This record gives sequence, structure tokens and C-alpha cells, in this order.
Amino acid sequence: MSVSVSQEKTKNDIEKYRHIYVIIEHFEGKIIPVTLEMLGEARRLMDEFNQKYNSSEKVVAVVLGYNVRQLCNDLVTYGADSVIYADHEELKYPINDIDTKIIAQIAKDAEIMKKISPEYEKTFVKPRYMFFAADNIGRHLSSTVLAELDSGLASDINKLVISDLDIRHEHKTKGQSIRYEKVLEMYRPDFSGFLWTTILCLDNKNPEIFREYHPQGCSIIPGAFKPIEKDSSRKGTIVEYSPNIDHNLKIKILNRRVIKKTIDYETCKIVVSFGRGIKDNPEQNIKLVEEFAELIGAEIGITLPLSKKPYQISQQLDSKYMIVDRVIGTSGSNVMPSLYIAIGLSGAVQHISGMKDSEVVISINPDENSPIIDESDIFIKGRMEDVLPILIDQIKKQMSTVSIRSN
Amino acid sequence: MLNVGVIIKLEPDFSEGNVSYNSDGTLNRAETKNILGPHSAVACNAAFYCKVKYGAQISIGTMGPPIAETALRQAQVLTNAEELNLYSDRLFAGADTLATAEVLKNGVGKMFGGGIIDIVFSGHRASDGETGQTGPQTAWKLGYTFLGNVIEFNIDSDRKVVIAKRLISLQGMDTIIEEVESPLPVFITIDPSYRSIYNTVSQRLLLNKFRKEGRKRSEDYRQFLKVYTSKNLDLDPKRVGLQGSPTIVYRVEKIPRARTNRKTEIIDPSNPNNIMPLITKIIQLARGK
Repeated sequence: MSVSVSQEKTKNDIEKYRHIYVIIEHFEGKIIPVTLEMLGEARRLMDEFNQKYNSSEKVVAVVLGYNVRQLCNDLVTYGADSVIYADHEELKYPINDIDTKIIAQIAKDAEIMKKISPEYEKTFVKPRYMFFAADNIGRHLSSTVLAELDSGLASDINKLVISDLDIRHEHKTKGQSIRYEKVLEMYRPDFSGFLWTTILCLDNKNPEIFREYHPQGCSIIPGAFKPIEKDSSRKGTIVEYSPNIDHNLKIKILNRRVIKKTIDYETCKIVVSFGRGIKDNPEQNIKLVEEFAELIGAEIGITLPLSKKPYQISQQLDSKYMIVDRVIGTSGSNVMPSLYIAIGLSGAVQHISGMKDSEVVISINPDENSPIIDESDIFIKGRMEDVLPILIDQIKKQMSTVSIRSN
Repeated sequence: MLNVGVIIKLEPDFSEGNVSYNSDGTLNRAETKNILGPHSAVACNAAFYCKVKYGAQISIGTMGPPIAETALRQAQVLTNAEELNLYSDRLFAGADTLATAEVLKNGVGKMFGGGIIDIVFSGHRASDGETGQTGPQTAWKLGYTFLGNVIEFNIDSDRKVVIAKRLISLQGMDTIIEEVESPLPVFITIDPSYRSIYNTVSQRLLLNKFRKEGRKRSEDYRQFLKVYTSKNLDLDPKRVGLQGSPTIVYRVEKIPRARTNRKTEIIDPSNPNNIMPLITKIIQLARGK
């Protein structure tokens, strides 16, 4: 039998957990796009939440850095109700240990509540939800912050829903059906790209192992959500937080060197990607793709399964192409070139989400039932071994005639 | 002599011929073999580098069912490890990353009879779970300084510090290589692009000697193996496995196909007339028209 909502309320009528905290990332004075995407999604979720639950919970942006005050107004125009910022020279660059401690301090600080939402000041214990970016910084930061706050975390999320759920779980509810309110359903595509797993972070209501798990944390895939339109008339509260910085800093940054991305998906006009369709002769087929891409000035991408190095190929090709940096899709880069050529790849959802905004899509695949066909303007039915040599040959011919004419 | 720990994981073998997919594209776990995960192998290489370059004893740990022994054995081949540790208990089953980190924390605490491990390595992420959370969470629980995405490192044994290069790649930004210095102990997750470089002849000689020894040791790996349960890891059963996991998997579903506005034209490439307009288009785009 389900425990009724009212029963739950009396047992727990003081809510200790409030708001969505969004951890902001910035670089050289610029806000990283995924941060605005997270704010946009937080805004949409919170508007719906407040209407549904008749509450006034907030989207709270948290920024650490040096000279970051000027970023705070921007965050408000992109959907934050409140911005908590810590400004300190030692925070100029992200350092996991220090940032983790400060974010955990902020998350537990009830004093700040006085300024952000005085109505919750007395009862506030920790944030209800917490969003991080699923990138090189946020992925680790989310892990350590949630370890410090002793709560749960789901990574690489691309869909979020807040709902009330009746849960029956061997351990969490001791087999009883119990209603959980305001649960964040966190959707993550699995490694195959075909399955979506919904992760929940739930309190243990079973008295034998009773424990409350808040905030419900997640890291969000860059490009998964859209920012809201910038609205300069939006108003928000900006609060400075004076962090407790340990001056015996353990880690010293000796230097930082910016290197140009060796793979440039942003400015190139054509991207050519390949997948497991190379399998009959991986070495030769990659060389074919390489020749084709070079001819038309394209950057080369791969599908996620190839980054797991499924083939025995020469070290040279392996270290150049079978790398995570070349993965197109939710586990890698989002691209939107003028032309995307998908070679021997089936079109798993996680791949499609990374290339669907391309202007023109051509795919080469022997199987008309591959999902990639839906996302193609032109589908060349055939094996890459057969099709690519024809294309290469014809392009060479036409290019030489055209260049002769233009001379 | 450094004390080096490595946390590894047994994972599905995604290599062609060993991996099996269902007709709907999902992994067929029953038919797929399991091996030492590729990112775990990179972590092993980094530990082995310490052994050759600085002199180190290596202890490998993994949480998993008894079958995970095979991963420990493969890791011993790569590292010539002195100690293999399997953290295995039915109570650990179904653990999320936080509950896994709880076990690994105590596991690291038992390496070489307890005491400080100077460096703990783990992989970038698992090929099947792909969260990348377990490493940093274990580091945090241990209270070790955490360094992620490390592509190169050197140890100054006198000063007891590590100097490491980390790769930071952010959406829409140039890549940064950050050089940091941190006192030992540290917990390092190794970037997949890491390569061990052995410059001197003496290093290469030592490397060959240790490799040979590692292969030999692995033939009789059980001699080096210690198996721990929640009891002898001094773990609170409420903090491990399903009971100790804040998160649950609520639902698994097929991702619906994305809606698309494209009208697909299907081309038979065997007829050159079909191909020609396409070629013209590709060339135009290649020339930026």
C-alpha cells in the first residue's frame, strides 16, 4: 500500500532542501556555453516546479574565480534568480581540491539563504538539486562535491524531468511502495547509444538504513539543452561569498599552455565520420576515408564504439583516429558543418544528436534499415569499399577539369 | 621505493570478434567476453613506468565478482605487481559510484599492509559505465589530492612531490595543458592519450627484466592474490552495494529515434549518372561555395 502524501508531509513537513544550484564554468572571462545551457534547463524546470508545487524555489548560479563579478549579471540575464560568487586570486583557475571545499561550504551555508530566500533561511540544509557540466572540469568536480556532500550523482545527462514517483525498492523502501516527491529523473544515454537509463537519487526511507540523499546531482552533456534567450530586463540577487581558503594550498599551478585544437570541427565545412562499417578491412578502409577526406578538405570523426579500439590496426592510424577526441555525439563533440558524410555507421541516437544540425547529410551504408537513413539527405546504398573509390575517382576527375577551366 | 596502487576494472571486451551486439544494437553481455578495461590498462602502464623509472612496489585492486581475478592477472602482466587485491562480496553487488568508492577507499587503505600509498592510479573511465566518477570519489574519500586527465608526470622523490601535466578540454575553447605540482600522496586518473616513454638504455633493460618477471609472476598469480570481503575491509554494510548507493537505475528504455525533417534520396552508386550531381555538390562545398 502506498503511504499517502499527507502522511509523508506530517512526517517531513519542513523541507530542508531547496533550489537548483548550477555550477558555472568560465575560461578567460568567458562563460562556457554548457553553463548557459544548464541555466536554461534549470530555468524551465524551476518555472514548472514552482507552479506545480506552489513554491518560490530558485535557480542559483555558483561562480568561483578571480575578477568574476562582471559575469554575474550575465548569468541573471540567462535565467539565474540568484548568483553566489567567490572572488579570490587563488581561485583564478579551477583546482579540484579547493573548488570542491568551497562549493561544499556554499551548498551548506544557511547564512546565504538570508539574502537569497529569507523564507527558507531557518530550514535550509542543502540544495535540492545540483547541476555540473560533463566536461574535463565538471565531471571531476561533480564527483568530489557529491562525495563531500555524501549524496548521489548521475553523469552525462541529456534529459531531465521532475516528478512524484511511487517507488518500491528492496532496500530504499524495504519493499513497500512509498511516494517520493520532487524526484529528479536523470536520463543518460548508455555506452551503446541505443539505451536510455533513468537514474534517480533517492533517500533511504527504510528505517534500518535511513539516510537522506540530497542534493540530487548530475553532470550535463554539453549541447544537450538550449539556453534561454538573453533577457536584459531580468532581475536577480547577486551575493558575494567570502571563502575559507586554506593558504597551505597543496597544489600549485606551474604553468598553463593553450594549444590549438589539433582537430577542428568548428570551422571546417565538411566532416567525414566512420563507424564499425570499416570492420572487413580496417586498415585499408581508414586509409580510404583518409584519402577521401583529404581530397575534399574534411575533418575526420568516428563513432563512440571505435574509440574503444575494437580493431588491430597500425599504431599510426590507431593513435591518430581511434581516440575519444574524435568521437562525434553525446560522448564527444557536436558538429554542424555544411556537409556531413557518414560512412559505415548505423546512426545510434547518441551519434545522431552530435551531427543532426549539419546542413547536408550524405551517408554511405549497405543497409537501408540503418537509423542513419532517417537523418540523411542522400543515402548511397553500398559498402564503403565499393563506394569510396568511385567518389574519390570522380572527384579527382572533376576537380582537375574545373581547375583547368578556371585557369 | 615508492608505494604505488592501481585501481582497475573488468569490462566487456569491445574488440571485434569478442564483442557481441544484439540485433537492436545493444551489447549482448552474455556473449561478450570480459577483459581488463583499456583505460585500466593505461593506468597500469603509468604504474609500471614508476617501477622502471623510480623503483616502486605495485599493488593492484579491483572490486568485482571472483571472475575479476582475470583482470588482476592481466594487470600483473602489465605491471609486474607485487600484490593483487580482489574486493569481492555479495554485499558489494549493485553499487553505484559512491558505494564503490567506499569499498575502494578501504581497499587502498589495506594495500601493503596499510599505510600511505604514494600514488594511486586509475583509468579515465570504464568502457561500460563511462561515468568517470569512481576515481575522483575514491580520491576524495581517501583524502588524497586528485589530479585528473594526466598525460605526463615526473616524481621528485627527495621533495616528495609529483609534477604532472593535465589536459583540459572545454566545449568551444582551445585545449589547455596545465602543469601542476602536488605533494604526495596523490590520486591520478590517467588520460587515454598517456604514453610511457623510456629514454635510457638502463630503463629499457630494466623494463625488459620487469616485463619478463611480470609474465612469470602472472602464471602463478594466485600466490600474490588477497581476497577481501566487507568484513576484513572493515566496511559498514549499510555503506556499500545497493544499500549504500544513493542512486538507483529506475528505468532502461530504447532511445526513441530522433524526429527528422530530411527527405532521403536513395542513390544506387553503380550507375555513374546517379553519382555525378552529388560529386558536383561535394566539390562546391569543398571549395566553400
